[in-house]
Amino acid sequence: MKKLYGIVGLLVVFSLALTACGGGGGGAFKVGLVTDMGGIDDKSFNATAYAGVEKAIAELGVEGKYLESTQQSDYAKNLQQVLDEETNVIVTVGFLLGVDTATAAKANPDQNFAIVDYAYPDCWPGAVEGKECGSATELPNVLGLTFATDQAAFLAGYAAAASTQTGKVATFGGINIPTVTIFMKGFEAGVKYYNQQKGANVELLGWNTAANEGSFTGNFDSLDDGRSFAESFVQEGADIIMPVAGPVGLGSAAYCKETSACKIVGVDTDWTVSAAEYTDIILTSVIKNMDVAVFDAIKAAKEGTFKGGVYVGTLPNNGVALAKVAGATAELTAELEAIKAALIDGSLTVDSMLK
Amino acid sequence: MANVLELHGITKRFPGVLANDHIDIILKEGDILALLGENGAGKTTLMNILYGLYKPDEGKILVRGQEVEIHGPNDAIARGIGMVHQHFMLIPVMTVTENVMLGVEPTRNGIFLDRARVAARIRDISQQYGLEVDPDSYIKDLPVGIQQRVEIIKVLYREADILILDEPTAVLTPQEVEGLFKILQTLIEKGKSIIFITHKLKEVMAVADQITVLRGGRVAGTVKPKDVNPEKLASLMVGRDVNLIVTKQPAQPMNTVLEVRDLYVRDERGNLTVNGLSLDVRKGETLGIAGVQGNGQTELVYALTGLLPLVGGTIRIADKPVHHSAPRNILERGVAHIPEDRQKHGLVLSFPIHDNLILCTYYQPPFARGINLQEQIIFKNAETLVGQFDVRTPNIYVPAASLSGGNQQKVIVAREFSRPIELLIASQPTRGLDVGSIEYIHNRIIEKRDEGAGILLVSSELDEILALSDRIAVMYHGQIMDIISAEDATKEYLGLLMAGIKPAEAAAPTRGNRKQKKVERVF
Amino acid sequence: MSDQAIQPVEVTPPGEDPKKGTRGKIWQALLVPALAVLTGLLIGAIAILAVGENPLEAYGALFAGSFGTPDRFIEGFQTYFASGDTSKLLRAIYPITESLVATTPYIFAALSVALGFRCGLFNIGAEGQVLMGALCSAYIGYSITGLPAFVHLPLAILAGAAGGAVWGMIPGYLKARFGAHEVVNTIMMNWIAFKLSDWLLKGPMQASGSRPVTPNVEATAELPRFFPDPLRLNWGFVLALAVAWLVYWFLFKTTLGFEIRSVGASPDAAKYAGMNVTRNFVLVMAIAGGLAGLAGTAQVLGVDHWVGQGFSSGYGFDSIALALLGKSHPFGVVLSALLFGFLRSGATRMQSMAGIPIDIISIIQGLIVIFIAAPAIIRWIYRIRAIPVSDEAMRTRGWGG
Repeated sequence: MKKLYGIVGLLVVFSLALTACGGGGGGAFKVGLVTDMGGIDDKSFNATAYAGVEKAIAELGVEGKYLESTQQSDYAKNLQQVLDEETNVIVTVGFLLGVDTATAAKANPDQNFAIVDYAYPDCWPGAVEGKECGSATELPNVLGLTFATDQAAFLAGYAAAASTQTGKVATFGGINIPTVTIFMKGFEAGVKYYNQQKGANVELLGWNTAANEGSFTGNFDSLDDGRSFAESFVQEGADIIMPVAGPVGLGSAAYCKETSACKIVGVDTDWTVSAAEYTDIILTSVIKNMDVAVFDAIKAAKEGTFKGGVYVGTLPNNGVALAKVAGATAELTAELEAIKAALIDGSLTVDSMLK
Repeated sequence: MANVLELHGITKRFPGVLANDHIDIILKEGDILALLGENGAGKTTLMNILYGLYKPDEGKILVRGQEVEIHGPNDAIARGIGMVHQHFMLIPVMTVTENVMLGVEPTRNGIFLDRARVAARIRDISQQYGLEVDPDSYIKDLPVGIQQRVEIIKVLYREADILILDEPTAVLTPQEVEGLFKILQTLIEKGKSIIFITHKLKEVMAVADQITVLRGGRVAGTVKPKDVNPEKLASLMVGRDVNLIVTKQPAQPMNTVLEVRDLYVRDERGNLTVNGLSLDVRKGETLGIAGVQGNGQTELVYALTGLLPLVGGTIRIADKPVHHSAPRNILERGVAHIPEDRQKHGLVLSFPIHDNLILCTYYQPPFARGINLQEQIIFKNAETLVGQFDVRTPNIYVPAASLSGGNQQKVIVAREFSRPIELLIASQPTRGLDVGSIEYIHNRIIEKRDEGAGILLVSSELDEILALSDRIAVMYHGQIMDIISAEDATKEYLGLLMAGIKPAEAAAPTRGNRKQKKVERVF
Repeated sequence: MSDQAIQPVEVTPPGEDPKKGTRGKIWQALLVPALAVLTGLLIGAIAILAVGENPLEAYGALFAGSFGTPDRFIEGFQTYFASGDTSKLLRAIYPITESLVATTPYIFAALSVALGFRCGLFNIGAEGQVLMGALCSAYIGYSITGLPAFVHLPLAILAGAAGGAVWGMIPGYLKARFGAHEVVNTIMMNWIAFKLSDWLLKGPMQASGSRPVTPNVEATAELPRFFPDPLRLNWGFVLALAVAWLVYWFLFKTTLGFEIRSVGASPDAAKYAGMNVTRNFVLVMAIAGGLAGLAGTAQVLGVDHWVGQGFSSGYGFDSIALALLGKSHPFGVVLSALLFGFLRSGATRMQSMAGIPIDIISIIQGLIVIFIAAPAIIRWIYRIRAIPVSDEAMRTRGWGG
């Protein structure tokens, strides 16, 4: 029992000491990032956005931190926490934070926000502002960071169709939401364009734009799902898979590496960098330069040039891009360059291929 | 002969209880010392001290003249003290060899279990002491008597020469008890010394060289069997004169309360264990069901109380058919049931005594008003019953698990007898209990009979059947061999029936008041 | 000795005051969990040190994040007394109200698991039941309009309880009728709930717009909040406490509870005593499901007002630990839910101010659960004598059961 009292006593002292400290230092330019439920280690979405913050820490000397959300009710709370700390720029990630970010932005008009993959106004006729949608008007203190991912995914679809040995490629998503399906739509368009150009008949599994239907794991965190989806696609004959589900795709990559039965098209970042252990089975990656966009927003805020509105990442402004295609022939590389140029000048559009 | 084990002034206190109060015990080499005492007399505490599970507050232990401190079972074994527990510590799905080697696994080359060497030693030991145990059989296939021998082998394998046997006969059939006694004789002939813990007087008289009687945590006396008789021992144990012979008035049978016709019941494994059985019990009489364990008695009782469904036949209690009734409906017809397995069925061990005392009536007034339990009434009820039925407990709030077996049984009897009952079904009501509790429960059962309840008594103890019954039915292979009047019953005749042998009509003693069905299957 | 002994005649004064005994028992019951929490925090401190952070700073932030800071309270009161302005005061109590908000679903879900334990059932399905409760409450909450709050709110609450109850009752029935083990079936029901919600949120229950979320519930179905935004503390917390008390009363003061506890402690004895064991399985699973459903209800009607994909991330699973920690006693469950709620809530600030990953809280929670599940470790560390007669609350049976 003596030992017990000792430890209890120690803890009392301990807790008294604690209350004395706490509270952050002032002065520095502060950036706070709030993740969605995927968490900071999703090697995708949240991770990429935070990479922009880290870049700002390194290059601009700002103070940065992140808050992970683990459930729906955390969004408002985490926003409240960063607001409470008098942060200079608040970055929120994902459409799920759309309403809470708008609410916080309206309540704190002097506070700068950037939201990844979302933009205002987002209300539709009849929607209740502040509940079902964030804002009916553009918010002067919020910069929405959106990406024309379908353009890059178009290139990936073309590259995949050109590289498949089995004549079948596949994709699947986390949840059927626009930020996910935009990859799949672009991918589908690319495959169709290849078929049209080459008179080929490469089949796409896992997504159909016309029906707005496809394969979804229902989550952004189960590596097991990634593995089993990849397995079933391979059984159906596909040999190239694009998983659009954050870390779920790592499960697919692991399956491909173990069986050598498939190759992966990475999304969001260049997976030969962010998931380097799978480099040998990665065909290419659809890069969504969220980190660049986030960094630019922070930089603008620090320099006092921050403006609300919508930023769209595209092929020309390098907001989206296709990573190097592994084992690409000179011919394929040239074709991809041509397609990219056509997409940029508007002579070729994603939608035209999906009609 | 030399003293192999001496205990001097052993004292052990638990909060509120003086479990052992300056106990002195001496075990001589080659002796069987019987440690006799009621449940709660301090036998188990004393043995746990000897086995190193408890540390005594006072006193000293001498092994072969040397004072020792025993720190745990391994320490005890190292000093040659081995214990055979009442509840076997065996793993059913392992062989005898594997069970024996458990904890002291010898290996070949440091990795492979050396089963062959252990098996050889088991054969040696088995041979030497006449144990007849096959080292390769699985425990689950062995009868209880043989399992106990495996426990003895475990102790001998570890080279113990002081064996402590805790209530070794509680789980054995009469034949197995005989076998055990022979083994004990062999053991002491080969130089082992034995402490034999029991509360059964006849066994003590049969095997012990010395008898130490414990009562209330103290030594009540140490005697030799030839100097005493069972009555004397019983009064030493209980602290007062005990009447070992049950006295009862002749039965005054009234109308039939239980009528069973052509009953067929399957046990949980699907075997037909009650096979076309018929019997009647009348109010004011006791029908004893004798028979070797496992002849369908358990399933008969389960069927009567609604715990097992019938395959066929009818059961009427107080003129109402109940063979499709739920247990509760049967209880509500005025049936009290003292179950065979008191810890499994009779009590919720983790519940306090007061809740166990309302286990069957909790939903009825006065214990419940609507769905509200009436705590104060439940407490009062418990206080009353604990007093009336002499349940020895610190208070009514302790869990039933903390009571001794005898007191647990008293809680069950108190609960069952506190309801108005027409029929009492008592299954092995005194199994494992001490003399005082047996006497008490027997008297209560007779009292119920005299108040006009019908009693169905199922017991594998022939003495109990003979002492309590007015009529005796012998059950064999799920059928009634014969029903005879208790006055005419002889142990010999019952014994034949129990073995499934039906003597010729002429040789049979006078019939009881009901003839049973003809039994075909006799072998 | 007469047949009428059922009527108590004379009361002998009890040898010991039962209340006094109970108090000793409560202290005994609290000692090990309390030490488990302390030990968990101490080892957590080592983990924080190991990642190169300062545990004092981390726990300081944790404490401030869950309870608030004294200087804010002082400032709040000063402002209030000086000007009657409550805004600073509200800011001071914000952390503590958030902790209570986080506690609320934990209480409901853990009560659900605890009730199951009491009947010998292992309800792993709380997660799915939470989700079904949330969806049903949300549906009633948004689809019906024009009702006054005193009708609409109770209706939405009942809908949530009913949704969870159905989700719990199905495995209960399967166990009672076919002997199918509830662990397997509740896990299956979880998956059905997850997939069903995915479908509902993309189809029938999706709000217009592209996000897979339900419409917001009507104001008349919201659990009223005590303070202006952003303080989210609402009547759900009070409801949780009331329900905890109700579960306590039900378990320990009613005949139904007596049956449930008997079945849990010894199904054989319960059957012997004439209780319908299988009926109790169904009943308990239904009530447990309803309780878990209320966790979702409270979250939807009180906090979020809508349901989106990934609504419940682990209330149902955390609640198993909470029930164990609370010894399956409703009051113990409330205490353990408060502990987890405050830890979870404080973790936000700890993560923000001290840069400690939120996962450290999971580690601490895990450690606490280990110490609770294996109290021998705590007894050994602190040299506490074991309670001689164990009265363990959890008595689920094995797979054979």
